[in-house]
Amino acid sequence: MKLRSLTIKSTPLRLTITFLGIFILSSAASFAAAYFVLRSNYESILEDEIEQAIEVYAAIDGQDALINRLKTDIAVTDTELMILHYQPDRAAPIANVAPFPSAGGFTIVSKKKIDGRDRDRSSSYLALSARVGQGQLTIAKTREQVVEMGEIMLSVVLIGLLPTVLLTSAAGALATRRARRKIDTIQKTLLELTSGQMTARVPVLENDRDDLTEISTAVNTMASSQEALIASMRQISADIAHDLKTPIQRVAVILDEVARKTVLSAGQEDLLDQALTETDRIVKTFHALLQLAQIEGGAVRDRFAPVDLQVVVDDIVDFLDAEADENGYSLEHTVIGSGPFTVYGDHHLLSQVIANLLQNAMRHTVVGSKIKVRLSRDAAQIVLCVEDNGTGIPPEEREKVLRRLYRLEQSRTTEGNGLGLSLVAAICKLHDASLSLEDSDPGLRVRITFQTLPKSLPVTPTQKTSEA
Amino acid sequence: MAGFTPRQIFKDGTIMKILVIEDDKKTGAYIADGLREEGHSVDLIADGAAGLVQASVGHYDILIVDRMLPGIDGISLVKTLRGAKNRTPVLFLTSLGGVDDRIEGLNSGGDDYLVKPFAFGELSARIGALARRPQMQDEPVLLKAADLEMNLLTRKVTRAGQPIDLLPREFSLLEHLLRRKGRVQTRTMLMEAVWDIHFDPMTNVVDTHISRLRRKVDKPFETEIIETVRGSGYRIDTE
Repeated sequence: MKLRSLTIKSTPLRLTITFLGIFILSSAASFAAAYFVLRSNYESILEDEIEQAIEVYAAIDGQDALINRLKTDIAVTDTELMILHYQPDRAAPIANVAPFPSAGGFTIVSKKKIDGRDRDRSSSYLALSARVGQGQLTIAKTREQVVEMGEIMLSVVLIGLLPTVLLTSAAGALATRRARRKIDTIQKTLLELTSGQMTARVPVLENDRDDLTEISTAVNTMASSQEALIASMRQISADIAHDLKTPIQRVAVILDEVARKTVLSAGQEDLLDQALTETDRIVKTFHALLQLAQIEGGAVRDRFAPVDLQVVVDDIVDFLDAEADENGYSLEHTVIGSGPFTVYGDHHLLSQVIANLLQNAMRHTVVGSKIKVRLSRDAAQIVLCVEDNGTGIPPEEREKVLRRLYRLEQSRTTEGNGLGLSLVAAICKLHDASLSLEDSDPGLRVRITFQTLPKSLPVTPTQKTSEA
Repeated sequence: MAGFTPRQIFKDGTIMKILVIEDDKKTGAYIADGLREEGHSVDLIADGAAGLVQASVGHYDILIVDRMLPGIDGISLVKTLRGAKNRTPVLFLTSLGGVDDRIEGLNSGGDDYLVKPFAFGELSARIGALARRPQMQDEPVLLKAADLEMNLLTRKVTRAGQPIDLLPREFSLLEHLLRRKGRVQTRTMLMEAVWDIHFDPMTNVVDTHISRLRRKVDKPFETEIIETVRGSGYRIDTE
């Protein structure tokens, strides 16, 4: 099974990203609000200071006293902090800077405009002009502190946000991985359950109580009840089989006794033979159904061993070749590439698959048809193909013929019980092999793809069970 | 069909003491009657627990045990017997016919396994095979039947001095029949022994193989060595 890596589709990851985004936005907004409140507060203090300074100069009596005071003050004032500019009505300006743009009301004037230098783009002054004595007094104070406060707040925002973002992202990634891992185990268990391993369960920790654990518990409960259901169904079918087989056995016994103990006319003997044949057919169908149930149960997997498919194919072709030959069919057996064609499975069941497919091909093609068995392999898989040049199976019927007891209309009259291909399908599924029915133009090609044996498994000769 | 007589199977007249443990009365009686007609001494018990006691004390040559029994089931019965070092050959009868059931039966200590319903001929032939499981004697080099000779070392077959060319599987088939001279081998027994096939191939494939073998071994000559036993199988019997 392919486990998906971390993807943007993961619910916890999406939640993390969304919440992180909301958090960043809301933090930025609240910091911005705080910044603007602080700034306007600071600026109003600045405005008060400037107004007070202007009032101080306005309170000075006499133009000469004003000019003297200004000259003294200008001499000791740092232009970086404060600018004083007085433009008497009929005289040269007294100022600690060269020209200064006149300002009506509070104005923000950038430093560049004052000294033409651009040391710091953000440097600016808050300026106010007013009429004082016989002239225009402009006082400007640096806004540097306002700008500095903005910078400090920005650093506060960044330094405050960074650990939060990192922490949240890490927690989100961790939660995502944990959830992914849980989802993967749930998926794996569901896959095992689907493939018939009814004992598969999702591991659940005692103190783990999240929503995914709840789902895991629910999956386990479902699997348990399904397992119990299947067990009881199997018990019931075993009981039915036993109950029905005993009377069938009795019929066979009675017929056999008639055959052995009674002198019959030729016609009667013929009827008896027919009755025996039909009994035999009932029994065979029964066996096939029971075997099918057993294979689908999956317990046979416990007995799996490495099996060389080439040996199996050789044996079955050898076994059926004589019959094919007598009936005018030709069996062609080719091996493409070099072996080993070793798969992990049950020798007898795999033999049965090949025998069923070959007999199926003979049954549904005209005498003289060519039937090909081909075995090939690449690094990852081994492919077994059985191909005939008969009438084939229409595409829309291909799914259906794998169902038990389903038979094509045209083949109702031929031998067989409609279980052969179902058995093949069940055995393939048991071996994790994929089965496909294809058009061999004309005819049917049955392709079975096995996974090659993992290298870790020891390759021993084909295991055979003998009764000695 | 009427021509069938039990004596055809047990020509050498070996008389065996057989215990049948089978809960279905009709089937049990059928088996017991048939075996008695063949001259064997047969006891029939319908209960597992009673069967276990009888099998332990009765010194039987063969046990025929149904897998599903009231009291103790067949598998446990045989396991208990084997645990007590009782090596009497056991033929299991069963209604189940799955791959697992067969192997479980054989693993528990059973020697052979027969799925119900069966023809009496099949049962009789399998009992014959169980009673005389080949002892590991000196391996013979030459197998003979009338004027047919099979050399196991050179793998050459001759009849009346003429060499016969056989395919490997035909050789195995003939060898199997020759080694069990006088005993009927059913189609299923041949399929299991010669091809290791344990499922029903739904066709008479074995008959085809036999008829091909006959074409080489019997047809060119006056007498037939391979004999068909109606309702049972095949046998080589030249005495």
